[in-house]
Amino acid sequence: MDTLIQQLINGLTIGSFYALVALGYSMVYGVMKLINFAHGDLFTLGSYIGYTVLVVGASWVTATFGIWGGMAIALVAAMIGIGVAGLVMERIAYRPVYKAGRLPLVVSALGMSFVISQGIMAIWGPNPQAYLSGWTPKDFLQFGNIRVPVLQIAILVLALGLMALIYWLVERTTFGAAIRAAAQDRDTATLMGINFNLIIFFVFALGPALGGMAGVMQGLKYTRISFNMGWLYGLKAFTATILGGIGNIPGAMIGGLLLGVMEALFEGYVSGAWKDVFIFLILILVLIWRPTGLFGEKTAEKV
Amino acid sequence: MADLTSKLTQRISKTQGQSPQRKFPRATGLVLLVAAIALLGAFPLLPFVNNYLIDVGFIVGIYALLGLSLNIVLGEVGLFDLGHMAFCAIGAYTTGILFHQLHLPIVILLPISAIVAGGFAYLVTSPVIHLRGDYLCIVTIGIGEIVRLVLQNNPGGLTNGPNGIGNIGNPDFGLFSIQSPTQFYYYIWIVIGLVIIGLINLQKSRVGRAWNYIREDEIAAKANGIDVRAFKLLAFVLGAAIAGIAGNIYASKYMFIEPNNFSFMESALLFCIVLLGGLGSIPGSLLGAAVIVIFPEIFRQFASYRLLFFGAALIVMMIFRPGGLWPRRREGLGFAGLGIRKLPRDENALLAEAPVPPRPGTVPLKTYRLPPVTVAMSEGLILETKAITLKFGGLVAVSNFDMSVVTGKITSLIGPNGAGKTTLFNVITGIYRPNKGKVVFQGRDITKLKPHTIIGAGIARTFQNIRLFPSLTCIENVMSGPHCHAKEGTWPAVFRTPAQAREERKIVELASYRLNQVGLWAFRNELAKNLPYGKQRLLELARALATSPSLLILDEPSSGLNDKETEDLMAMLQVFLGEGFTMLLIEHDMNVVMGISDWVTVMDMGSKIAEGPPREIYNNPLVIEAYLGKEED
Amino acid sequence: MAAVLQVETLFVSYGAVEALKGISLELDEGDIVAVLGSNGAGKTTLLKSISRLLVPRSGSIRLRGADINKFAPYQLIQQGIAHVPEGRKVFATLTVEENLRMGVFGVRTMAPGKEYKKTREWIFRLFPRLLERRKQLAGTLSGGEQQMLAIGRGLISKPSLMLLDEPSLGLAPVIAQEIFRVIRQIHQEEKVSILLVEQNARKALGLARYGYILETGKIAIQGEACDLRNDERVKAAYLGGAKVNISACGSMS
Repeated sequence: MDTLIQQLINGLTIGSFYALVALGYSMVYGVMKLINFAHGDLFTLGSYIGYTVLVVGASWVTATFGIWGGMAIALVAAMIGIGVAGLVMERIAYRPVYKAGRLPLVVSALGMSFVISQGIMAIWGPNPQAYLSGWTPKDFLQFGNIRVPVLQIAILVLALGLMALIYWLVERTTFGAAIRAAAQDRDTATLMGINFNLIIFFVFALGPALGGMAGVMQGLKYTRISFNMGWLYGLKAFTATILGGIGNIPGAMIGGLLLGVMEALFEGYVSGAWKDVFIFLILILVLIWRPTGLFGEKTAEKV
Repeated sequence: MADLTSKLTQRISKTQGQSPQRKFPRATGLVLLVAAIALLGAFPLLPFVNNYLIDVGFIVGIYALLGLSLNIVLGEVGLFDLGHMAFCAIGAYTTGILFHQLHLPIVILLPISAIVAGGFAYLVTSPVIHLRGDYLCIVTIGIGEIVRLVLQNNPGGLTNGPNGIGNIGNPDFGLFSIQSPTQFYYYIWIVIGLVIIGLINLQKSRVGRAWNYIREDEIAAKANGIDVRAFKLLAFVLGAAIAGIAGNIYASKYMFIEPNNFSFMESALLFCIVLLGGLGSIPGSLLGAAVIVIFPEIFRQFASYRLLFFGAALIVMMIFRPGGLWPRRREGLGFAGLGIRKLPRDENALLAEAPVPPRPGTVPLKTYRLPPVTVAMSEGLILETKAITLKFGGLVAVSNFDMSVVTGKITSLIGPNGAGKTTLFNVITGIYRPNKGKVVFQGRDITKLKPHTIIGAGIARTFQNIRLFPSLTCIENVMSGPHCHAKEGTWPAVFRTPAQAREERKIVELASYRLNQVGLWAFRNELAKNLPYGKQRLLELARALATSPSLLILDEPSSGLNDKETEDLMAMLQVFLGEGFTMLLIEHDMNVVMGISDWVTVMDMGSKIAEGPPREIYNNPLVIEAYLGKEED
Repeated sequence: MAAVLQVETLFVSYGAVEALKGISLELDEGDIVAVLGSNGAGKTTLLKSISRLLVPRSGSIRLRGADINKFAPYQLIQQGIAHVPEGRKVFATLTVEENLRMGVFGVRTMAPGKEYKKTREWIFRLFPRLLERRKQLAGTLSGGEQQMLAIGRGLISKPSLMLLDEPSLGLAPVIAQEIFRVIRQIHQEEKVSILLVEQNARKALGLARYGYILETGKIAIQGEACDLRNDERVKAAYLGGAKVNISACGSMS
């Protein structure tokens, strides 16, 4: 029982990273119908930005603002940095290629992925870096037999909070409705006075920003970061996106959390080595059963 | 290079109606080809070429072979396959495992690797082949990862996990064995040469055209009798088999394979090769492979920056040359571009041979030169819909609809916009399946048949919004018509058997006849998308006629045509009627409806509100009301 | 009366197809004008050009005297234009209420305040069925309800000019009746100028003061609605028969 709960918490933590990254995939896809293969690498870049803030500030950031303040600054820096990176990426790599069709866009996205991951390697070097233990709190909370690091709880709360925020923004506010409207029918949205360029700006800033923050969180939690870790996170998050139904915001969150939990449970009870095989098999089976994902095609049909 | 390709893509035939004058004569092309082959052949013998460069040449070969194999799936059919390395891995590991376990010689393992990889592709893609674009894409990535991870996890001790399999032997042909870099270089390029010959034969056959039809417009392909599922699977199996061969050669050259040779990154590179070269372009795939391998080699001195440059180069390429470096050219090649043997030099001669047009409803390819078979031309019903109902969500699009079409007559289906006419056509041709009701064609229930089977049974159609294969030439568009009656498949195409050549010839003859009949012969070598709108409608008509249907269903044939074109169309439809085609039209132009229909059925709000001879319909108050609205004063 | 909308010799083409071949028309403040014609005549193209969803090849469109190109497409709603597109085009995955809110997205003065609530109440009074279904996804509504929603979404910005594209398309007669009743009502009560594109000629001419009949991208006939209603040539334009000559019209009967 205790291991089960432990596994669930671990699963939710990694699942919340997947979910945050998946949100970015799904937002961009919903509006632009583009699979942003560079998205996973923005996650890595976010991780490195957070790392740099804490390394460069070294003792200073953490000493001045405390451990919590330091982590917050790293997160905000990654959020802003990656948000800007997302906008720049859209401008240079995607906007000029939109009219050429979908396949060239895929190649451009793959190219962007190379540029970012190789750029990280060129700047920070090919060897993995580590978030230092002095940057994070070391306390534990004790629930019966279960010890959970305070850090992990904080990360989980923050990630779930961000998701709730995005959910509220996209599903509950007028601006969110405008995003969904623009994703569905660009022309009619324009007739309503929705400026499509503003929507593009928004999704390409916010989507990557979430991924960048997830990158910092993963660094804080697992300490080790490397220039090419983005592709695996990106792939898992993309899987989560498709699992939830691409373009569907709640679907991406649920898909991400579900994926994390399934992965952790499989790893805990069956086998760690086979967990990714298991995940991809689940994905394929789900798609055979529901060709547009679990929550794809939200349009309810009257029967 | 850019200069050469731009020259190549220049419009060759400016003057329509004559057989194309080549600005770039065939002889020059041949000289270039021979030069390229000679260069490839002489490369290892050149004075400055060392073993390192020869090995680079070998690697280019491996990627070229893989690029060619992915080009079948991605380039010819347009399926997003981002896990293609999995098939190469299956080939390589089949070779490695069977070499050690069963001690089979590498040369024997070459075809076995191809078969295993192809069979594997069939097994894993057949449950998911119906998925659309991005969903198929993630599934192929998933398959790629599953294969790599399984190899890494060393099931049953067969794959030796992350350590990989070593000590794989070299190919031994008995008389000689292949060991040195130079030998491997020739080995891979000879294999590539053979594969290319096969692929060109396939590309320029009914199989290759079917792939392209699917890529251009899947629905139009279905509606012209292409078995979309089967041809997609064929592409995967064939692509996988060739990738399996590449795997076998790779394993025998390096004598060592490990799971990381077959990562997602490699699959992504293959994807880039095909797009860099140009979709569906064989020389493009070779060029793409060369770029992908050589580019990072050139930037070797920049060490860690080279992949950075490479990524940037990909983006720049897609911005400035999204069609690829050497896109496949179709227009301006003349019928020579179709790759059919022994066609007369003068294309008009083909027309002058004037084949007897096939009787409607007969299978043309084997019989159309024989005396026409007598088809019962009685007043029988060729088509009946019985109580068809179709709902979309809350909307009842077609409700309890009964309609019949009399053999040898023109029936028109009219009604205001949104009445459900096109939806009914989609039910008849199998695009939609009705919630209730039956479609009976020539006494046979066809409700549950797939679109491509229905075409084969003798119903052809055109689309309201025109669905051509835009980047194919007019003649290629029309050649999709006879496809559903043709028999010769993959292997006859690869080996160009005499039967296959005869069949191809009949396809082109029939297509020429129909293209000429609608007055588009002069445009035969133009791309469909470059035709003016009115001519596009006619092209679609020719394509439908070329399936030699018993029943021709036309969805608003006159829409978008001017008065003159509409008159010509009416005259043409009368000719088709004389040939024995039964026709069912949706039409808005009442001059057309009243002028040529024998019978008119009126649909409003998904239901039938009237039917009868045109004059009666014209004065029917219900019909006037449906169109003009109710009189209310 | 001042012209709210003036279209002058408008040419629009889609690639090789010429959809509009020199259309000129005028709509006065507070007037209803109908544009009629069969499928493919160019009616929707005309409205899309006015809303700047399409770029004309030549010709001019003026909104209260100002060149319409001064405004970005998404700014037109701020100028008081509401375009209810053909085929309803409600946002299927948004609820009825969200769809209505989208209707004022581009109108700064309306945002979420009292004014919006008041207008929404008014729309619910016009279409009580929307009130019943306000929480439902628009995609689950019937065709008639979707059309009501589309019109409501257009009305909620309190436009001074409405472009209505085939509001009766594919609707049962009773529902079409209802829709036309509401159009008449908003015209009379709110003094909205309306450019009505329709297939249903009798209904539209019963409502409009003036009508234009489009045939393959050209204006074939125009005139006072009461004259057109009894004009044999209108029937001919729809049901074929005698070829119609383009002639100056207006006071014919």
